[in-house]
Amino acid sequence: MQRVGRRGIFAAAAAVLALGGGLTLAAGLGSNDDGPPQPNQGPTAVPDIDPAPDSVAAPVAPAPGQAPAAEVTDLGPLLAASAPVAIDIPSIEVHSTGLVPLSVGADGVLPAPADYQAPGWYTGGPTPGQLGPAIIAGHVDGPAGPAIFYRLGELVAGDEVAVTRQDGTVARFTIDSVRSYAKAEFPTSLVYGNTTNRAELRLITCGGAFDRATGHYVDNIIAFGHLIA
Amino acid sequence: MGMSSAFAADGDLNANLAPVALNGVEGSGTAMVKVQGTMITVTMAASGLLADSPLAAHIHFGAEARNECPIAADDLSADGTLNTTEGGPAYGPIVVSLTKTGDTSPASGLAVERFDTAPGGNLSYERGSIQVSEEEAQAIADGKSAVVIHGVDHNDSGAYDGDVMSDLDPALPAEATDPALCGVLSAAPVGSMATGAGGAASTGTDSGVLLAGTGLLLAAAGTGAFAARRASSKA
Ligand SMILES: [Cu+2]
Repeated sequence: MQRVGRRGIFAAAAAVLALGGGLTLAAGLGSNDDGPPQPNQGPTAVPDIDPAPDSVAAPVAPAPGQAPAAEVTDLGPLLAASAPVAIDIPSIEVHSTGLVPLSVGADGVLPAPADYQAPGWYTGGPTPGQLGPAIIAGHVDGPAGPAIFYRLGELVAGDEVAVTRQDGTVARFTIDSVRSYAKAEFPTSLVYGNTTNRAELRLITCGGAFDRATGHYVDNIIAFGHLIA
Repeated sequence: MGMSSAFAADGDLNANLAPVALNGVEGSGTAMVKVQGTMITVTMAASGLLADSPLAAHIHFGAEARNECPIAADDLSADGTLNTTEGGPAYGPIVVSLTKTGDTSPASGLAVERFDTAPGGNLSYERGSIQVSEEEAQAIADGKSAVVIHGVDHNDSGAYDGDVMSDLDPALPAEATDPALCGVLSAAPVGSMATGAGGAASTGTDSGVLLAGTGLLLAAAGTGAFAARRASSKA
């Protein structure tokens, strides 16, 4: 009768903790005493927030009767808009063809995908390869164990991320930095704002300690990358 | 969030630029705006535009406008294209002219010699320290403005021409001012993401450190019981 007994115990725990029923599914499944991989960030590591300063390209001969352009803004390689359909991160064995669209709620917060094994992409931002930070988020774990971005914290600078898009093109990104931030001090502008004037990528999952009182991890792990082709 | 002054319309916004209805442009782009008080920084890239012709680009906002991009039903003249005036009920008047140099007020809305000319059909633009009014800064930060890039080629001649003259300037062909791409500047998401459920969490981290921070002693007791039961049920 262990099964019934466990249910009773977890029901009681859930009542005390005021947590959702999903927690009961965690019993004895997929637990890892060390928790998910965390980024190895030194105290001096800072995100590369302006690696692509504007440069002035060679002047183009103006058409007759036209004033020359003041300068040409170099925003690096860019792709046209096209929704992502697959993501491959070979170094951490992520291969998914199940990307789901994400949009912000009335509170302005970007919700995680409902499916623990599906990465979600933020449709209100650039598609991967367009100018600005394209956002792809995935769960680190579900109630039953590791989820799609469980190993995100293992990414290191130089790792590659390939995002296949609906138009058949593949946006190839290289990772610049992987950082963990306390959710209470989430760097909204650094993650969602245009900080670099080029096509960038943000991969987001959870990290740090799991606070069983709230049912949430205390940190977000974010991998910052930029388009190379 | 800015807290140092009474007026602080801060935020990051993005517009996904898409073809304006009826005008036959097959392009796309993104425009990003950072609002800091009454100062904005605009960065924009778009492709699929008429190459090597000046493309007027603006931020539009109107308190009475729908604060969106125009749709086919806005073609009040029923001539099969949307001109800038017909887009007005959707996106409102010009509030910022996205010129590369000099004045950025609505007065520069058709300053063709100061707009990007989209070499190869690719527009790229970056400009900081653009001053706007408090009302405009607030409207932009609130996600009520739209970025519009003008300049189309209805007859595929490769240049601005045709018999129809612009609704904005009778000296210009309508092609030079009809809206090509449009996108509403929407506020970027705010704050953290809840991307974990704890099923693979370390069993050693639901410690007093976290719980002391919450001050929920009842929860602490409950968690302890939970952890102990969980450990024993695994054995
Ligand atoms: Cu305009």
